[in-house]
Amino acid sequence: MSQVLNRLGKKTAKYIAVGRITLKQQLAYRMDFLMRSMFMLLILYVFMQLWTAAYSAQGGGLQATMGGFSLKDIIWYLVLTEAFSLAFPRLCTQIEEEVKNGGVAVRLLTPISYNGYQYFVYMGEGLLRFLILLACGSAIGLLFVGPPEFGGGWAAFAALGLGNFTLAFLLNLCVALCAFWVEETRGLEFVLQKLQFTAGGMLIPLDLMPHWLQQICVWLPFQAVLYFPAKAAVSGGAGLGGYLLLQLLWIVLLGGLAAWIYARGVRRLNVNGG
Amino acid sequence: MNVLETKGLAKTFRIKRKEAGLGASIRSLWAPQWIDKQAVGGIDLTVAEGETVAFLGPNGAGKSTTIKMLTGILHPDSGEANVLGYVPWRDRKRLAYRIGTVFGQKSQLWYHLPPIDTFELMSRIYELDRTEFRQRRDSLIERFELAPYLSTPVRRLSLGERMRCEIACSFLHRPALLFLDEPTIGLDAIIKERIRELIAELNREEGTTVFLTSHDAGDIERLCRRAVVIHHGGIMVDGPVERLKRDILRYKTVTIRTPDAAGPELTFDSTGKEHPAALLSLPFGTQRLPSEPALLKLSVDLTVTEVGVVLAELMSRLIILDVTIEDPPMEEVIKTLYERNQEIPVFEEGTPP
Repeated sequence: MSQVLNRLGKKTAKYIAVGRITLKQQLAYRMDFLMRSMFMLLILYVFMQLWTAAYSAQGGGLQATMGGFSLKDIIWYLVLTEAFSLAFPRLCTQIEEEVKNGGVAVRLLTPISYNGYQYFVYMGEGLLRFLILLACGSAIGLLFVGPPEFGGGWAAFAALGLGNFTLAFLLNLCVALCAFWVEETRGLEFVLQKLQFTAGGMLIPLDLMPHWLQQICVWLPFQAVLYFPAKAAVSGGAGLGGYLLLQLLWIVLLGGLAAWIYARGVRRLNVNGG
Repeated sequence: MNVLETKGLAKTFRIKRKEAGLGASIRSLWAPQWIDKQAVGGIDLTVAEGETVAFLGPNGAGKSTTIKMLTGILHPDSGEANVLGYVPWRDRKRLAYRIGTVFGQKSQLWYHLPPIDTFELMSRIYELDRTEFRQRRDSLIERFELAPYLSTPVRRLSLGERMRCEIACSFLHRPALLFLDEPTIGLDAIIKERIRELIAELNREEGTTVFLTSHDAGDIERLCRRAVVIHHGGIMVDGPVERLKRDILRYKTVTIRTPDAAGPELTFDSTGKEHPAALLSLPFGTQRLPSEPALLKLSVDLTVTEVGVVLAELMSRLIILDVTIEDPPMEEVIKTLYERNQEIPVFEEGTPP
């Protein structure tokens, strides 16, 4: 029993070490943090103007609600979705680069699961960035629309936050692993990103979309990445159980798909370079 | 005990064929043409524990492809392999605990971090015992003289410093079998020598089996006792490096520069033309190689003379500005060997009378 625990401990330590070294390496990219933060400020400012105009055009003025969202709700919703989507690392670019320059060999030659390694790199990179962007976005939110009234929403947000990083990772991994077959995955990555923006509810909450579109989005995994945690937060944690269950379901499904793609891909992978 | 055994290992790649020009590129979008290119065609190889094997061949001979199959990152089309009791491509991860790899052109060190951080990561990935790891790390740091670079980000290290760190990193988990792919490429002579010494030392002291590919004859002479030459995906020569040296590494190239602008040719032949007499006056056991006009390039056959003797003779006859002595490039050596091997069957079969 203690031997099993010991082995398990060593396996865990392996992946934690990957996450830790990624965090360390991240600190070398200060410029990247700064650029992302600046970009986030810009986006938030633009959308704040847009939504303010949209709400003032409504009958009730700034106190009006749309699809259950007040202006304050929608701004905080945006802060959260933007912080997430700007924090997600560019997995496709990284894996494609590794396949092109043969660096993938270095990963495959060490006793660690390739997907597991990529996951912890993704988390190490993404979570730190998310915290910084969240702090940055919150400052704007506080300044323009006042403190959020999430209440129980914070807990729901935290619960869905880890899962949504995992799901974003898996979605990207499925696309990125195509680099084992084709030279170029940028096109697919582009499509995936844009689906995230729209069907994922990054710019506009799904509730404000036409009914027929909502009906489609319900069947897609994208809503579980950005929409679920942000919506659960602003609505004070309502619907958390269903969100968690659905998110988990997608994680299992896409995790299986990614494992299957990997197993097929690694067999035919031709590692480049001498 | 054998650490490595292969039987009929073969790999063929399908390559998309594309003709030049935009039209051809567009056509290949919907009607791609494929050609099969055999990279490795049936390699039988056995390596015993503690051996030092040089794996040689010109570019494109299939060296890297073979190493990739032996380390399990490439699946062969046919054939068998057993490395330390594992089928590499099936038990890649389990095999990884027992082997070490150094690629001269790929880095395992984290670019923005000091090497010591990668060492720490590797200790976790290979699940090393903490105390043992620290002892091992410190002894490698001492032997490889890495102390001054340990806390410098890798991007600031010179290539030589980085390579020493790379090799030390591959030794942390005490691999039973070490694959080195061009470990000294791009390094200067002193660092090359130092790296060879370190690898030789670890082979001697820990019995690590070394499997090396290199274009540098020095790496092979200094490190390996056995040489396997492959060409066109098959084994051409397999024997002791000593014999290889006698057969093919027996030439040195001596290049001499003289102050005479017209070149040293005049010194040998007053007519200034290519003349058989000029060749006769070359030192014994040498052959003139084509070169720029101001240079005299000689191939010295070490089985009949010595570089020193040749130089002494030349010095008494010429004013010498500069001398370089080098090994002929591996490509050339193998080409000669290959051509010789090609000739033999022709002789044996004979042409119809």
